[in-house]
Amino acid sequence: MNEPLKLFADIYTCMYLQMLIIIPLAAGVLFFAIPERFHSVKGILTLATALVTGYLGIALYSADPQMTAQGEILGRRCMALFNADILQNSEGFLTFTLDGLSKMIILFISILALLILVYTLIYNKNARVSNYYPWFLITLGSSYGAVLSDNLILFVIFWGILGITLYKLIPGKDEKSSAAAKKTMILIGASDTIMLVGVAIVWKLTDTLSINNISLETNNILTVTAFLALLVGSFTKAGAFPFHSWVPDYSETAPASSAALLPASLDKLLGIYFLARLTTNLFVMTEGIKLLLLTIGVLTIITAVLMALMQHDSKRLLGYHAVSQVGYMIVGFGLGSLVGIAAGLFHMINNAIYKSGLFLSTGAVERQTGKSDIAELGGLSKAMPVTFAASLIFAMSISGVPPFNGFASKWMIYQGIIDFGAGEGLASRLWFVWLGLAVLGSALTLASFVKFIGGIFLGRREPAMTKISEVPFLMWLPMAVLALFCILFGVFATGTIIPELFTPVVGAFTFNGLWSSSFVSLLVLISFILGFLIYLATGRKNFRTEESFIGGESAEKLGASFPAPEFYKTFSEFRLFSRIHERAEAKAFDIYDLSKKAVFWLSGGLSNAHTGVLPGYVIWVCAGLIIMLLIMI
Amino acid sequence: MVVNLFWFFIFPGLLFMTVAGGLLSWFDRKITARVQFRKGPPLLQPFYDFFKLLLVKETILPKHGSAFVFLLAPLLSLFGATMAGLFILLPLFNIETGFRGDIIVIFYLLTLPSFSYIIGALASGNPLAAVGASREMKLIISYELTFLLLVAAVIMKSGQQFDLNSIITAQQSHSPFIGSISGVLLFIAGIFCIQAKLALVPFDMPEAEAELASGIYIEYSGPPYAMIRLTKQIMLFILPALIVALLMNGMNPGINIVWLILKILGIVLLLTLIRNTNPRVKIKQASRFFLVWMNLLVVIAIVLIAFGL
Repeated sequence: MNEPLKLFADIYTCMYLQMLIIIPLAAGVLFFAIPERFHSVKGILTLATALVTGYLGIALYSADPQMTAQGEILGRRCMALFNADILQNSEGFLTFTLDGLSKMIILFISILALLILVYTLIYNKNARVSNYYPWFLITLGSSYGAVLSDNLILFVIFWGILGITLYKLIPGKDEKSSAAAKKTMILIGASDTIMLVGVAIVWKLTDTLSINNISLETNNILTVTAFLALLVGSFTKAGAFPFHSWVPDYSETAPASSAALLPASLDKLLGIYFLARLTTNLFVMTEGIKLLLLTIGVLTIITAVLMALMQHDSKRLLGYHAVSQVGYMIVGFGLGSLVGIAAGLFHMINNAIYKSGLFLSTGAVERQTGKSDIAELGGLSKAMPVTFAASLIFAMSISGVPPFNGFASKWMIYQGIIDFGAGEGLASRLWFVWLGLAVLGSALTLASFVKFIGGIFLGRREPAMTKISEVPFLMWLPMAVLALFCILFGVFATGTIIPELFTPVVGAFTFNGLWSSSFVSLLVLISFILGFLIYLATGRKNFRTEESFIGGESAEKLGASFPAPEFYKTFSEFRLFSRIHERAEAKAFDIYDLSKKAVFWLSGGLSNAHTGVLPGYVIWVCAGLIIMLLIMI
Repeated sequence: MVVNLFWFFIFPGLLFMTVAGGLLSWFDRKITARVQFRKGPPLLQPFYDFFKLLLVKETILPKHGSAFVFLLAPLLSLFGATMAGLFILLPLFNIETGFRGDIIVIFYLLTLPSFSYIIGALASGNPLAAVGASREMKLIISYELTFLLLVAAVIMKSGQQFDLNSIITAQQSHSPFIGSISGVLLFIAGIFCIQAKLALVPFDMPEAEAELASGIYIEYSGPPYAMIRLTKQIMLFILPALIVALLMNGMNPGINIVWLILKILGIVLLLTLIRNTNPRVKIKQASRFFLVWMNLLVVIAIVLIAFGL
């Protein structure tokens, strides 16, 4: 452990690794010096920096074969910071890890950050958030740092910086957004503190802080406490029930570029990365922990998606889905099998892709129309064709429509659950509950995205929106690329993506399910082409465009379309559901609100003592003095 | 590859399913007519209807919404039905190919037609179609959990196998699943799920001729409508076939094809009789029926299976 340098055959890998973390952090700090007036210049410089780190990320992904081959043993430690003496004796602290998992996460952080940045160059022209670019770079550097660190303290430091950048990437100009920012800050900060408790216990138990060297059995109260404390950190970052409540608020008020960057992609990647480390490296899961993870997983899926179903602000709706999808990943990890872990990771990547895409497309709609409420939008498919096509693909991916990527990873999770059912124990016996709720969640996701797509892009256009046009090239390009990723990851899922990307990370596993994604996709394509040929051949002379038939009434008189908020009104007529929903809207299940109430109640008791009468205070002081003296003597 | 294309387009794929579905559709209409003391259509009537829509009738495109998505939706629905049908029929007919799908894949593909109807209806920009789409979506949410639990119960019965071939083999080596108490309960739930999936009468609120004028299909005409009709006919064939595969022993090799036909005809007869003797329920009633009663039924079946009944 004290001779980290010798372990590397290739010194460049080590250098790349440090550069990856230092360059964005340094550049970010430096760019604070450039005045806000030149934010386009800042944007270009940031893009250049992100390109460099992106290159480094890809270089690391394909890093030297010796290290990859023996990555489990050799490639874990690296300490050659500038070859300087100032950091002597810190070898045990500044240790980094580079294995299949961290390499994969680094790769996707680089790709997603780059795409979102290109989008932001246009989107952020009027500087919605001050100092967006410096904070963006610091976020990027810290994310790399968190994924690469092997030392738990180093990890927590980078993790903490991410909480601050999350706070700074929201404008905080009006009351609502500053309240959301504060809530985020407090929840993330609190979870970081709890995490530190976990780290302390782990250190006490094992005398080491290196993630790689720890493997604790969760069989006594102390290790379980440590596991749960660290789990809180992972869940809060990823946004799982019951620590999710910052995600919808943040998504609703933050600009689309920030929401797409953090809650939608990087925070998911990091939170689930840490969950993967927790369940596969740091701790050995027992039956009880599996049951806990599976329960939290399905609860997250169902509660969040039910909330999403009733939303009509498109960004808030997406925020709830950002929570709901985490449930699938947690279920995957809760299964503990190789298929489950691979499925969880695959779903994490897929979710980062389509969820950031969805945020970008709502951002595009909001930029062009100034609105984000589904009820006020409609019929934009002809005005914004690229955004519409991309959103439709994202929506189908997230709802698990075959053959897109969301289906591929959900299918893996389902077969993981069915395999899990063959085992012994309570968690295995209840497999049909996990499966049933996961599939129901998928159907509900489909339902709320039908509303999303139908309400924003289909239907009739409002008369005020006749002059809406498509967003500029640099804004729709990232969406198109993300949509392409959704298609490719779905089409080549079983043949290429899973064996090439995920088998190196989790190890070889076999499928019991049968799904030939590529061939089915080919059939989809053939069917569409044949279908349109039939349309053209049979109806060439017979196409006619007509006004809708509404039983002989005039559409204009009737007030046009069926409003999106009415879509699932039937469900709110069920008494049980509506009662829970009302409570949830009133934040009765929000851990932030509950703890806020508790704090105010406590401080209310204390503030009663503040009477403002001087003799009263003098009595308090004297009483305190006497008590102190008594204790000391 | 070419062989797989043959499976997909000719037998037991699109062409075969079109013929079988058309004949079953005639059977359904004939029974309905007899129930109502009418004479009923000739044997080839469904095919006449189909070719009239495809070749003679004009295509009317909606003025609002998205014409491209409006035209794409029927193709997607037809694809979903055909693909699911292929994955159901290949194991049912004991045809061994490398090209298969497990039951989760079939489950998702079977949702594809309903999903495409909804997207197509919303793309037409017609408010009546949007009401239909909203009802169809609510119907999907209602029966999806029941249908999945039914599938899960069958998986449990066959010892955690979720490949249709193994499920059929498991039944043929012992006894058909329907021969137990839990199997009967599952069969009842299955019939109602199919009824809802096909949007037949107690659950036909997405179409609702009386108040929505065919709801989700209101704007469709000509070839796109022909595709939708075709999808519905194929679904009328493959959903009973799925029940036969899941619960009723599939098909033993040899002369037993007659048995298979009789089983499918029996299920379609049951569906037709239900649809001719019941009034349409409200969407809320349908939701409650599935979410509470049918789920309860299937969960009871699962508990029985856990006790080996």
